[in-house]
Amino acid sequence: MSLRVLNPNAEVLNKSAALHMNINAAKGLQDVLKSNLGPKGTIKMLVGGAGDIKLTKDGNTLLKEMQIQNPTAIMIARTAVAQDDISGDGTTSTVIFIGELMKQSERYIDEGMHPRVLVDGFEIAKRATLQFLEKFKTPVVMGEEPDKEILKMVARTTLRTKLYEALADQLTDIVVNAVLCVRKPEEPIDLFMVEIMHMRHKFDVDTRLVEGLVLDHGSRHPDMKRHAENCYILTCNVSLEYEKSEINAGFFYSNAEQREAMVAAERRSVDERVKKIIELKNKVCNGTDNNFVVINQKGIDPPSLDLLARAGIVALRRAKRRNMERLVLACGGEAVNSVDDLTPDCLGWAGLVYEHVLGEEKYTFVEKVKHPHSCTILIKGPNDHTIAQIKDAVRDGLRSVKNTIEDEAVVLGAGAFEVAARQHLVNEVKKSVKGRAQLGIQAFADALLIVPKTLAENSGLDTQDVIISLTGEHDNGNVVGLNQHTGEPIDPQMEGIFDNYAVKRQIINSGPVIASQLLLVDEVIRAGRNMRKPT
Amino acid sequence: MVWGQNGQVKKKTYRSLYFNSSTTLVPPIPVNNSQWFRLLNSIRFCCLSYLTFNSQRFRFLNPPCNYPKSFCSRSFLQIVDNLSDEQSMKELVTFQVGSYANFIGSHFWNFQDELLGLLEDPQSHLIFKNQNLDMDVLYRTGETQQGIPTYTPRLISVDFQGSLGSMSSRGTLYNHNPSPSSGVATWTGNVSTQASEPHKKNLFLQRLYDEGQEINESEILDTDVVKSLEDGVQYWTDFSKVHYHPQSLFELNGLWMDPKEFNNYGIGRNTVSEGLQGDEINERLRFFMEECDHVQGIQFMVDDSGGFSGVAASLLENIADEYTNVPVLLFSVRSPNYYNTLTSRKLSITSNLHDAVSFSALSSLCKLIVPVGLPSLNESRVSQYLNVEDVKLYQSSAVYASAIHSINLPFRMKKMGPTGESSNESGAMDLYECIQMLAGQGRQNTVAILDAAMPPPSMTGKRFQQPLLGNLHPLTPETAHDVDDSQAIETMIVHGALGAGEKEVSVSEVREAVETEYENTSSTRPRFSHLSVSRCPLPIPLPFPSIFNNLVGRRGDLLSNSPTVSESPSRRGPLDVHSIPMAARLRSSTAVLPFLENRLGYIRKFGIERGSIGANVLTSWGFGREEIEDIGENLSKMVLALNPQQEYSSDDSD
Repeated sequence: MSLRVLNPNAEVLNKSAALHMNINAAKGLQDVLKSNLGPKGTIKMLVGGAGDIKLTKDGNTLLKEMQIQNPTAIMIARTAVAQDDISGDGTTSTVIFIGELMKQSERYIDEGMHPRVLVDGFEIAKRATLQFLEKFKTPVVMGEEPDKEILKMVARTTLRTKLYEALADQLTDIVVNAVLCVRKPEEPIDLFMVEIMHMRHKFDVDTRLVEGLVLDHGSRHPDMKRHAENCYILTCNVSLEYEKSEINAGFFYSNAEQREAMVAAERRSVDERVKKIIELKNKVCNGTDNNFVVINQKGIDPPSLDLLARAGIVALRRAKRRNMERLVLACGGEAVNSVDDLTPDCLGWAGLVYEHVLGEEKYTFVEKVKHPHSCTILIKGPNDHTIAQIKDAVRDGLRSVKNTIEDEAVVLGAGAFEVAARQHLVNEVKKSVKGRAQLGIQAFADALLIVPKTLAENSGLDTQDVIISLTGEHDNGNVVGLNQHTGEPIDPQMEGIFDNYAVKRQIINSGPVIASQLLLVDEVIRAGRNMRKPT
Repeated sequence: MVWGQNGQVKKKTYRSLYFNSSTTLVPPIPVNNSQWFRLLNSIRFCCLSYLTFNSQRFRFLNPPCNYPKSFCSRSFLQIVDNLSDEQSMKELVTFQVGSYANFIGSHFWNFQDELLGLLEDPQSHLIFKNQNLDMDVLYRTGETQQGIPTYTPRLISVDFQGSLGSMSSRGTLYNHNPSPSSGVATWTGNVSTQASEPHKKNLFLQRLYDEGQEINESEILDTDVVKSLEDGVQYWTDFSKVHYHPQSLFELNGLWMDPKEFNNYGIGRNTVSEGLQGDEINERLRFFMEECDHVQGIQFMVDDSGGFSGVAASLLENIADEYTNVPVLLFSVRSPNYYNTLTSRKLSITSNLHDAVSFSALSSLCKLIVPVGLPSLNESRVSQYLNVEDVKLYQSSAVYASAIHSINLPFRMKKMGPTGESSNESGAMDLYECIQMLAGQGRQNTVAILDAAMPPPSMTGKRFQQPLLGNLHPLTPETAHDVDDSQAIETMIVHGALGAGEKEVSVSEVREAVETEYENTSSTRPRFSHLSVSRCPLPIPLPFPSIFNNLVGRRGDLLSNSPTVSESPSRRGPLDVHSIPMAARLRSSTAVLPFLENRLGYIRKFGIERGSIGANVLTSWGFGREEIEDIGENLSKMVLALNPQQEYSSDDSD
């Protein structure tokens, strides 16, 4: 072999060994993630070498925690993580779908079929499935006021796969309201405008939606108010601290007076800026009992804080960059970069600003705002791993609501789509194709069934029974999904089980692409390391 | 450790948990009850600082911020007025990115912890008591949710997932890890637990743990601890005695590759730009920055031998964006092991390209870059009194940490007024002044060389036989020897210096000695030099490796002849050497030219030349043709700054 001549150390796996390496890796990854799927799946508790705990039921998080080294597995994992980046969910489904495609193909390949033929079949089946999805999806009209019920159903479907029912239902309202809060007509939804803040405090059920903003820091001066009502909010990005300018380094003074003069001049320019803010405060607040809050992205040093405190202003420094945007959306006004032309129009408004202290952690709540276009989901929980898990779930929930609004469509869940698509492929598409590509379509169709199969398996049901009764109902023309409690067919529409259209489409799109690439590999060459060792 | 006692003295492992609250709350001047009550109330909300009065320092349990004018009584006002902006505490935030940076950092914080312990130990030597260093520059005061005060480094450490060994990434102070058996609150269905094998604590960590639990004098002997560390350090946490804040330790996850393959700038860059991990590290930085009143700067250590330099570059970009005026002092470190991994030609081309790209990127994102890390520490001239095994990260990192500790000292010294010269130290400067001095003037050279003498010879007596300057040897690789550079600028720190007969030398004596040496030296005197002196030596904590040879005495004094010839190969460690004097220097000099020229050569040869071998590699790291040329431009500018005569036009590369 020519390669041997070039590099005698290179290791080469021939055709069937290469293929089996790929298939086994895909199946291995499938096995790990399979038990995650659905509302009856298993949550994974990962305990690190130092006793750190991580809890996850999210395929994406789990993949990132795993130290995957097998190159094939990495390829699949990357696809799945990309799935999450694009559509926000469906990581687990992608992995098990790819695994199942490989598994189905293995049967045919072992019987001597060429992978190329299978891949051709996959391609046809993929296109047909995507067309079928277009017909199958349930359109949702998103006018001025989106249908809250359908959004809730989608969010609930996602959240119930990550959290126990009562908590999931509580969060459903929170995420739907949060997305509707930041939604602006005719503009894409920017989920970053929903701040997710957490406090290690109380219990998971104390998680709530704050209309307004929660900042994870407080004022740094003892005389500033901890609780203020009727506040003007000044959002700014102005340095209120003494900084040395370039020429001001200590080595260029001829005498001490000169140095002090320079310092004083620097100091004065900072004080000027502070005074401008105080002037504005006096202008808008004099004679009323309104308050004034400054939230600055840059620093504020103690002398400036002191000046502000004496003027009765509450000041926070080093706010997150994103909070500048959020504050303006929540309270109104605008973020100013200079204090030179401050007008009352720059100011926002909040009915209540108060501080909450937990040990060294301080939180500032900006609430009772008028027309918020930004809000905060405040997650509470007794320990870090609980908080982290709720956070993951909230993120998925938000994405699902956003997807629904943008897709203007949903897909019936509980495995209904997969069974329907399979019946469509087997009963119609397969018959329209001649030759061996039919087998590729068959393999693809069977692979789709992995979703209801896994749902059934995770619920402790008999997979064969479930598949037979589901396909039977579909052949009778009823679109049904799986009832995870009884194993009986149900109507997902009645139960309110909906998945995202974008997620499904992405899975159908990317799964076969990776599977085809892996199947068409007929030689694996590795120079340097032994790849047969178990990973 | 007790000075002047003979025989086996058990070495204390200091571990500063939090302040001793009983001694702290003392009003500097009598105030009446209502004022005192008000003060107590208000200090709950403030950050920590010292108050200095009548040369006494008062540290409050939760003391007021630097400017308590408005809430304190008049009597407090007097004190506060003396603390002008210049004198008030200036915080440093420390970054450690990458494995070797964390090894160095671990030693670095051990020194700080030891100093803190010695400060409070009634038995410790007077020079440690009067060290007059402001630890709040590096440390932060906090409070757990249970109300227990804490004192932890203001640090962000970034490393691979799983590199923390037996230490929890949440640190040890803030939460008692709930046991896995406590159940899952958020899921009613099945739970499957995947527990990794718990990392076993080594003898040192066990002893720390026992002492923390106040189990009566643990039976683990010093000698056993030292031996177990010598043989078995795997993670940097294995020899760390410091308590970290939960925000401090960050693990990069989702790499999906062998750490060996995480070996270039491009990979690291992608890791942080994808996903939210970069954002999270930046958030943690904001956490530490928000509580600082006057940040003097950020000291950044990065293991630049692999992907972590890419990670660091994107973190530095954020710093430049968000904290524009905060100066960054960057130590780009690499371990001796790095030089052994380059087995094949292809690997070495990749690594040469990486060197050029990473150096160019990092140097443009900081105010001063100090490359640190010799190919072989043991064979270098620095090690004339040391005996370092290059393969052990635990040992080599200790040397670099000592030098970085010394460089760091002037940033923490108390600034005195124009007249007040302390007898314990002199030459305080802040990070900004240091950088401005080295890089801000004349040639604008932003690359500095780190030199160290560990330990330096005695300062008085046989001064001219063993000059201090001649004993300072570079820790920066690829430097030229014996360069005559009339434009050189240097800043030197000498601390804990000893004179003849183990006597401590006073600050003024050190100044004098150094001045005389500058005058008598044969080579060109630097254009500008700054000297900081402190009497406080480098304490050698128990988890310090045994790397001294047998010419080093108990206090770091140099013995003229080794005590017993028979034990000549033996190495002396923390049980034999309790502290050492140190001298270290940052130098802006043309001696760094070979380092720069090599990197410029790499990018020209492998990157810019037409049809060069490395072009594909660079493309895969996401560099376009123009960006590659920019890198070349950037590097040749740095060379030109130091060497204007040389023709380095980019034409001759084509």
